[in-house]
Amino acid sequence: MSDPHILSAYDEELKELRSVVSRMGGMAIDQLLAAMQALREVNTDEAETVLKNDLLLDKLELHAEKTAIGVFARRAPVADDLREVVSSIKMTTMIERMGDYAKNISRRTLDIAECSPVVMPQTLDNMADVAHRMIEDIMDAYVHRNADVAVDVWERGETLDNMHNAAYRQILARMMEVPDHINAYTHYLMIAKNLERIGDQATSIAEQIYYAITGEILEDIRPVEEEQPATEAGF
Amino acid sequence: MQQSMTEFKNMTEQAVPKMSARDIHVRYGDNHAVKGISLDLHLNEITSLIGPSGCGKSTFLRCLNRMNDSVAGCKVTGQILLDNKNIYDQNIDVVQLRARVGMVFQKPNPFPKSIYDNVAYGPRIHGLAHNRTDLDEIVETSLERAGLWQEVKDRMDSPGTALSGGQQQRLCIARAIAVNPEVILMDEPCSALDPIATAKVETLMDELKSEYAIVIVTHSMQQAARISQKTAFFHLGELVEQGDTTQIFTAPRNEKTRDYITGRFG
Repeated sequence: MSDPHILSAYDEELKELRSVVSRMGGMAIDQLLAAMQALREVNTDEAETVLKNDLLLDKLELHAEKTAIGVFARRAPVADDLREVVSSIKMTTMIERMGDYAKNISRRTLDIAECSPVVMPQTLDNMADVAHRMIEDIMDAYVHRNADVAVDVWERGETLDNMHNAAYRQILARMMEVPDHINAYTHYLMIAKNLERIGDQATSIAEQIYYAITGEILEDIRPVEEEQPATEAGF
Repeated sequence: MQQSMTEFKNMTEQAVPKMSARDIHVRYGDNHAVKGISLDLHLNEITSLIGPSGCGKSTFLRCLNRMNDSVAGCKVTGQILLDNKNIYDQNIDVVQLRARVGMVFQKPNPFPKSIYDNVAYGPRIHGLAHNRTDLDEIVETSLERAGLWQEVKDRMDSPGTALSGGQQQRLCIARAIAVNPEVILMDEPCSALDPIATAKVETLMDELKSEYAIVIVTHSMQQAARISQKTAFFHLGELVEQGDTTQIFTAPRNEKTRDYITGRFG
C-alpha cells in the first residue's frame, strides 16, 4: 500500500472502510455459495438462512456508508484517496446487490421445493463457479490494489454472459421437452439471470477499482452483443 | 452569428496567455529558490500556486510584478511576458507594471488613511481621474466590485484600519483594482481571515476573474480546489506539475503532487 498520511487517524479511517468493504465481499461470496448449496439440495432451511443473513450485508453497507461519509466530512479526501472513497461507496451498493441476487436464488429455491422435482441444469453450477471466482478475484484486486486483476475480471463478464445465453437455450429446450416441469424450469431460468447479474455487478466493481487505482475510466471495448430474444427481457 | 463571433473571440483570447513565465530562475546569493519555472496565466482564470513552505511559490509570484527587485541580493533570470512583452526589459516602467499587475498580500495592509483615500491613492498617482467626480466614481466602482461599497458607503472618511480583517482585505482588493489592472496576484489572501470573510473574498475572486487573470498562492488545498481553474504544484523551487484543478485534485500525474495534496508530506 502507499505511504501513510501525516495524520494517522486518516489512515485508520480508510483502513476501516477497506475492512468493511472486504467483509462485505466475503459475505457476498458466502451468500452465493450457501444459496447454490441450498438450491442443489433443494434445502429450504438453508435457503431461509440465506434470506436471514442478507440483513447482515445490508447492515454492513450502512456501516460502510457512514464510514465513507465521515471520511468526506473530516478529511476532505483528494486524488487517489477521493477516488478510493467514492469507489468504495459505489462498490458497497454493488456488493449489496450481489447479496440480493443470492437472496433471490434462495427465494426461487423455496418455490422450486413446491414444484415437482426436476434435475437442476448443470450449467447453473458452472455459472455460479465463474461468478464466485469473479467476486473472489475482484475483492483480491481491491485489497491488493491490482488494476490488472480488475481488468481480467472485467473481461470475464463476457464469459458469464455467454454461459447465460447457453443456459437460457438449454432450459428452454427442457421446458419444451417436458411441459409439466415448466414451473420449476422458469425458476431455474430466473436463477440463471440472477447469476449473470452477479457477474454484471462484479464487472462494475472492476470498473470502480480500476478507476480508483489508475484515475482512468475502463472503456467498454467489447463488441456490441446481438439483442437478446424478446422473451428474455423480463428476467 | 454575433454570438459565435464572440465565442470565437473568447476562445482566441483564451488560447493566448496574458502572462507567460519562461525558464524563470531566482537566486538569493547561493540560494537557488526558483528553478526554471515556465507557466502560462490566462485571463478569466484563477491559477493556484500550491506547495510546502519554502518551495518558491511566493518568490515566483513576486517575480510576476517585479516585487523581488527591491530584495537585496536577489537575481531573477528568464523571461516573463505580459502581452508578449518581457517585463524584465530595461525600458519597462515598474510603477506602470505594478498597476497592470496588482498585488494583494497575506496580511491586509490598508494605508493609515481614510477608506476613500485608500482606494483613491492609486488612481491619483497614475492620473486616472481628471477631477473629483471621476475619482469619486472610480472609488465607488472599485468598492462595489470588491463587494464592500454597501458596508462602507456611509463612512468613507473612517480610517481603513478600523475595518474588520475581512473588510480590510476587500479594501486592499478594491485598492488593487482601482488602477485597472489586468492581472491580480494574491499571496495567501485569506490566511488571516475567518471562514465567513474567506468565503466573501473567494466569492469576490470568482466574480473578478471575468475581467482579470488571477494568481493565488495558498496553503489551503481546499481553497485551491474551490476557487481555481488551474493549479500548479511547486516543490523545492521546481514546478512539479500543473494542470486543470479538477485533474490535479482527482488524478494527479506526479507522485509528489499526490503525496502533498493527500497529506502524506508537507
